[in-house]
Amino acid sequence: MAGPLRQGNCYHPGKATLTQRLMSMHPFQWFPFRSLLNPTAAFAELSNAHPDPTRMFFRRILWLALAPPAFVFVGSSLFGWRLGAAEPLRLPGDVLTLIGIGYFLALTFGFVSTAVLSRWMASTYGARDQLGVHFALVTIVAMPIVIASVCHLFPHVFINMLALIPALLWSLYLLYKGLPVALGIEPERGMLMASALVGCLLVGAVGLLGLTVALWTNGVGPTIGI
Amino acid sequence: MAVEQAAGRALRPAGVYHDRAVTALVLCSVVWALLGMLAGLYVAAELVWPEIDFGREWLSYGRLRTLHTNAVIFGFGVSALMGTAFYSVQRTCHVPLFAPRLAWFCCIGWQLGMLAGGLSLLAGWNAGKEYAELEWPFDIAIAVVWVCFAVVFFGTIAKRRIQPIYVSNWFYGALIIVIAMLHIVNSLAVPVGLSKSYSLFAGAQDAIVQWWYGHNAVGFLLTGGFLGMLYYFLPKHADRPIWSYRLSIVAFWSFTYAYIWAGPHHLHYNAIPEWVQSLGMVMSLVLLAPSWATMVNGVMTVAGAWEKLKTDPALKFIVLSLAFYGLATFEGPMMSIKSVNVVSHFTDWTIGHVHSGALGWNAMITFGTFYFLVPRLMGAPLHSVRLANIHFWLALAGTMLYILAMWGAGVSQGLLWLSLDEIGELSFSFKDIMASMAPYYALRLAAGLIFFAGVLLLAFNLFMTVKGRRTIAVAPPKTTGF
Repeated sequence: MAGPLRQGNCYHPGKATLTQRLMSMHPFQWFPFRSLLNPTAAFAELSNAHPDPTRMFFRRILWLALAPPAFVFVGSSLFGWRLGAAEPLRLPGDVLTLIGIGYFLALTFGFVSTAVLSRWMASTYGARDQLGVHFALVTIVAMPIVIASVCHLFPHVFINMLALIPALLWSLYLLYKGLPVALGIEPERGMLMASALVGCLLVGAVGLLGLTVALWTNGVGPTIGI
Repeated sequence: MAVEQAAGRALRPAGVYHDRAVTALVLCSVVWALLGMLAGLYVAAELVWPEIDFGREWLSYGRLRTLHTNAVIFGFGVSALMGTAFYSVQRTCHVPLFAPRLAWFCCIGWQLGMLAGGLSLLAGWNAGKEYAELEWPFDIAIAVVWVCFAVVFFGTIAKRRIQPIYVSNWFYGALIIVIAMLHIVNSLAVPVGLSKSYSLFAGAQDAIVQWWYGHNAVGFLLTGGFLGMLYYFLPKHADRPIWSYRLSIVAFWSFTYAYIWAGPHHLHYNAIPEWVQSLGMVMSLVLLAPSWATMVNGVMTVAGAWEKLKTDPALKFIVLSLAFYGLATFEGPMMSIKSVNVVSHFTDWTIGHVHSGALGWNAMITFGTFYFLVPRLMGAPLHSVRLANIHFWLALAGTMLYILAMWGAGVSQGLLWLSLDEIGELSFSFKDIMASMAPYYALRLAAGLIFFAGVLLLAFNLFMTVKGRRTIAVAPPKTTGF
């Protein structure tokens, strides 16, 4: 299978079709979007690919991690956070910027650490261990959540939950279905590895929640009476 | 397994294992799961539609909620633990149960005690201590049955034909000893009538004793007891020894040492000494190490047994239970940190945390164990593997949805009722905040319905597996060894 993804860092524009070149040039038209339309093909392509981790990080992950903080910054500046009470919670611009930067850093760390963790687990489960493949796997799996984060433009907690829960379930489905294909292992081994990753991701999610609350109580974020 | 090799004791005629009480306990556990979770569903619905108590006291939230917690923890959980302890202690000791009639007494006595206790809660008898609501007549009955449980369990270990005591028995043993100690001390009270008593402790001391009990009931029953289940049934499922037996022993002793100190984290910012709160927090953080040591041991054990997943639906439940065990044992210490606890305490985040453990860890591992155990007790295959697989996805979806709904509700609550206005007054009233939680509670109800649908499938599947069959007789091996 020829294509920009397979060639990774050794991409030669002259050998690729026009479509492939366009897709490789525009991060938001790239193969993770296919996870929404045709995930089987996306994972099958990845199973034969050798993406370069540095390229993956700078051309894909950084951009994907930027979207949710950008949405939340715009949404909370315009509307304020609606937690169910009558009045929305409005925060000053500098605090919103700080929260946005923190969110971006946390997401970037989450992307990279999940990929590194996945690669670390690979030897236990007999899977491919090229870091670039794990970066690509994580970006495909995270894509539904990143897209659903557009709901941050209207920061109402419950509405955000309603939008993000189906996206999360879709990401879980992609992880369980795609991991064994992309990493070239049996479905049963893939199920075990995916479950181990789910455990780590749940811990990461609740850790982020705890970190956020700890920041609030230490003066970063909304003013609370403690 | 080197640690379980024969120690050269003289062999005695062994008879057959006493498994009929195990079958009875497993089936009772399933009935309690149905009753307890149905009560949970009803109280979840009452938080959305408060009028469905129809003005009846016994249908009120306060009474049904205690019935829910008691039925699932002591009915479902303890029946499962008692049954699996009786099953595994015989097989790890290569002898039938000591005092089998006493084992039947434990089985029947526990069910009757829980049934009468549940009815007393509906009637409004309540000692006013969380997870220890039953009044003094039931406290005495529980203590008697529990001591009989100890006699059967440790009597079986005493007459074992294998010198080393397998690690699952250490955990089950700790469950029995520590719960007896906690229950007896915390239940010390002065009765003023059949249905009312007052705690022997008062004020802050009462609170400290209560949460020494409350947290260690979570620790030694819902964690330690179920780790006993894990350490026996996971290697059996996987058909391979535990990844590191040495690590399991280290985890046991460090777990036992660290857990008992962690209770005061339930009383942060309360009228107990500051240093007691801080000690509780530090020991809760220390607890992460032994908890995760067991998780790593479990994950590595099952990692080499992936081929079993092709034929064994039960193993999936255990794999997933380890993931939720990892989550719950991380989340607990994190929520004990005072700067997190100040927001999370008294919110639905705590309810979400409890259910990530109760549904994701306790229920999942029990379901996996029952799917493994009942066919072996009956000597027949599981009625439907397909139904078990459907149950797995329902359990996963229900648990995830429940946790997410409570995270959203809890963080919102914490933030809202700490919010101050320009003049330093609280911005929102408690009533208004609770009214705004209705959508989250509806989501939680949906999660509960999904999870309960899975439990109905389990009950049907196990009932059809057991129907028309009797527990088969199994003799201990003639040679020693696990």
